Amino acid sequence: MIVITIDKNICTGCRECAEVCPAWAIEGEQGKPQTINTDRCIMCGQCVQKCKSYVSLITHGADAYEKIRKERGLPETVKEPLFAAHNVTHIQEVKAALADPNVITMVQSAPAVRVAIAEDFGAPLGTLAAGKLAAALRRIGFDYIYDTNFTADLTIMEEGTELITRVTKGGTLPMMTSCCPAWVSFLERNYPELQAHLSTCKSPQQMMGAVMKTYGAERNGIEPAKLFSVSVMPCTCKEFECSREEMKDSGYRDVDAVLTTRELAWLIKDMGIDWNALPEEDFDHPLGDYTGAGNIFGVTGGVMEAAIRTGYELITGQPIPSVDVTPVRGTEGVRTANMQVGDLTLKVGVVTGLKNVIPVLESIKAGKCDLHFIEVMTCPEGCVSGGGQPKLLMDTDRPEAYAARRENTFVHDENLPLRKSHENPSIKMIYEEFLGEPNSHKSHELLHTKYCTGKNKWK
Amino acid sequence: MIPCTEVYIMKKSALFVTADSKKCTGCKACELACFAEHNHKSNGVGKTVGTVTVPVTPKLYLVRDEKFCLPIQCRHCEDAPCLAACVKHAITRVNGQVYINEEKCIGCKDCIMACPFGAIALFPVSRNGEAVYQQDTDQPQIVASKCDLCMDIEGGPACVRACPNNALRLVDPDEELLDKHLRAAESLMATL
Repeated sequence: MIVITIDKNICTGCRECAEVCPAWAIEGEQGKPQTINTDRCIMCGQCVQKCKSYVSLITHGADAYEKIRKERGLPETVKEPLFAAHNVTHIQEVKAALADPNVITMVQSAPAVRVAIAEDFGAPLGTLAAGKLAAALRRIGFDYIYDTNFTADLTIMEEGTELITRVTKGGTLPMMTSCCPAWVSFLERNYPELQAHLSTCKSPQQMMGAVMKTYGAERNGIEPAKLFSVSVMPCTCKEFECSREEMKDSGYRDVDAVLTTRELAWLIKDMGIDWNALPEEDFDHPLGDYTGAGNIFGVTGGVMEAAIRTGYELITGQPIPSVDVTPVRGTEGVRTANMQVGDLTLKVGVVTGLKNVIPVLESIKAGKCDLHFIEVMTCPEGCVSGGGQPKLLMDTDRPEAYAARRENTFVHDENLPLRKSHENPSIKMIYEEFLGEPNSHKSHELLHTKYCTGKNKWK
Repeated sequence: MIPCTEVYIMKKSALFVTADSKKCTGCKACELACFAEHNHKSNGVGKTVGTVTVPVTPKLYLVRDEKFCLPIQCRHCEDAPCLAACVKHAITRVNGQVYINEEKCIGCKDCIMACPFGAIALFPVSRNGEAVYQQDTDQPQIVASKCDLCMDIEGGPACVRACPNNALRLVDPDEELLDKHLRAAESLMATL
């Protein structure tokens, strides 16, 4: 499947995209149209964010825009500039499912979407719009408005338990996070020998897909075969992740289609919904209930911070002295910290911007890495800077955009009544009613996965 | 040391932006920035691509060839042929810079014919995020458009600010001349 592509007729061959590509996937001579080497491309979409080579009235003529818009399957209501580097959209499949009376739709939305989508409606960069986002998804006509933040909390329970087991009972260390599908793809393509270091946890998106079509369907008395599950993601690689052949542990394809943040903005406009007039609403109970810990998955260091908030309390049985785990915050490409958790000194690392992971992987291969747990995110500052986020017209606004999205992710965390994943009552409920306990047999069946299998066995 | 020649008692020369083809990669960040900065107020363009509802109409134009690429834009000529050619007096000098009043322009193209650099293009007009039509017709209003040196825009020329390779610079011809005189004098002194 093609996820990211470059339109040869539009590309000027500037190779600015090749500068930001972390996987050396963009090939071509300077000044000539570029192509993407799909064996290398990890579909992060940073080239999509970077590309400024637009369909131009002067260069391509007055009719080019409409022709290309149609070719790409974009709604007629899309008027924004189209660029050479772009991701293949699945918006028409989502529209078809919404229009089909025999289909029941469930939607989930990733943490970083809520601090960015308002930008595409003219709001200041980084505006927090969780309530409007839920309201918009409801107006679009999705039947169940759930939230990836719920399964971010669930990830903490599963991944935290996995880490504790690896550290205390002996397992492959350092354990590395697996929520970023572009990072997972990079490891599978380039360092498959290190696959045992990846947490076996699926990403929050895929956990939610599996939970929707089992627990979600059961709770709501729906036949899972009638369910169409959609996720809204700041990420272009999530469409690839949900199409992986092993991602159907519910018995169906767990996530049927992904919309990027930008594509959801198109859909809202296409449905004639007035964003500015939307009220603040809540996500649906129980798979839309979340804590601040789940929400900070959207920024670099957030998974680590959320894991420490819960891990500390599960190991020591004591409340964590400070909920704000500042030692793992920041935006530098590689950060490490020693966290005292009872008798254990937990050595953790946070990597953001995929090029920064290579020295870390090399040190693991050389047996020189003494960390226990490493969070890795492909995009420059985590998912808030993802390839599917609203695209800036001027790159000079990038620092301000990232900083504002990041800050408001933490503001949302601080203002939520619960800030630790294990305190989420709906997380407690899903374990009581359905999963049993973290890392249980059922959890392993639905929420964990294997790497380097099938088409993703690269070497 | 300020050399004294006749040049310095003339009126101040108009500024312009020029590009270095050795640095330009042809990315079009300049075109997009130019469009964005000129359409925040008039067409509700925000900071992201998703806020754009009108065609991209830049005031400088990337030119590419087998061997080179660089953006072309108005030189703000002292004896501007476009200004002289405009029958509707839509082209005037504002604070020394050559400026097109798009409301007066009828799209006759005389300026395009007169410009020796190809720095003027015809573009459809948009206002409040929508296309503007000619009075009592379904024909879009088309006017001449060219670099206005971002005269009303904070921070100066958007293209210069947006270029990721510093290929564009704002030239003040008077300062440029002074600077060159100094450098020439210095190099002469060094050889003596």
